[in-house]
Amino acid sequence: MNQLKLQENGYQSRIRTSSMRLARWNGAWVAASALMAFGPKFIWNKDVLFTLLAVGLNVAVGVSLILASKKYVEELDELQRKVYFNALAITVGVAIVAGIPYSVLNTYGVLPFHADVGHLVILMGLTFWVAHQYGTRRYR
Amino acid sequence: MKNRLKVLRAERNWTQAELADALDVSRQTVNAIETGKFDPSLPLAFRAARLFGMPIEEIFHDPALDADGSSPVTEIRKDTYV
Repeated sequence: MNQLKLQENGYQSRIRTSSMRLARWNGAWVAASALMAFGPKFIWNKDVLFTLLAVGLNVAVGVSLILASKKYVEELDELQRKVYFNALAITVGVAIVAGIPYSVLNTYGVLPFHADVGHLVILMGLTFWVAHQYGTRRYR
Repeated sequence: MKNRLKVLRAERNWTQAELADALDVSRQTVNAIETGKFDPSLPLAFRAARLFGMPIEEIFHDPALDADGSSPVTEIRKDTYV
């Protein structure tokens, strides 16, 4: 029997590190977004300087999140990258197909509530999760 | 594309996880290749060939090829160009 030498910095180890990094930046971005959204009203009483600082922090953390996400995708192996990109393609499609009519309905006052970009973000998040789960199960 | 990855792995008593680690991919990817659900890229196929110490065509096989190794598709193309 030929013994395989296990790699110290193998795929699983690298992807775990990369996932943790992405999760940390996701958390930081959610916190920075919350600060930017609620800070002006509840913390610094709409002071413009602090609001601009919060927006700057949110953008800086957002850029770091994008870089962490890019690094994560680069670390994925070819099958997992395929699953990821398929899920991303479905998400972008759903966002465009659902987002434009949603905007039109809001413009003409058809919606019984105020349309918010947050609804689209939630839809995109759920769509990506479902599409990714489907892709993962398909190749299991 | 068909392949002999599962047989070669079993001959060496390697687990899917061990093979995945040696090929620097996930276990899910090894499983998907073995079950024919996913065709590997050329670099990954070459890595597998290097690992098993055999030519790539002895691991991966195009079902379109005949038993004698000739491709019916290639033959048709030759006729078309003549």
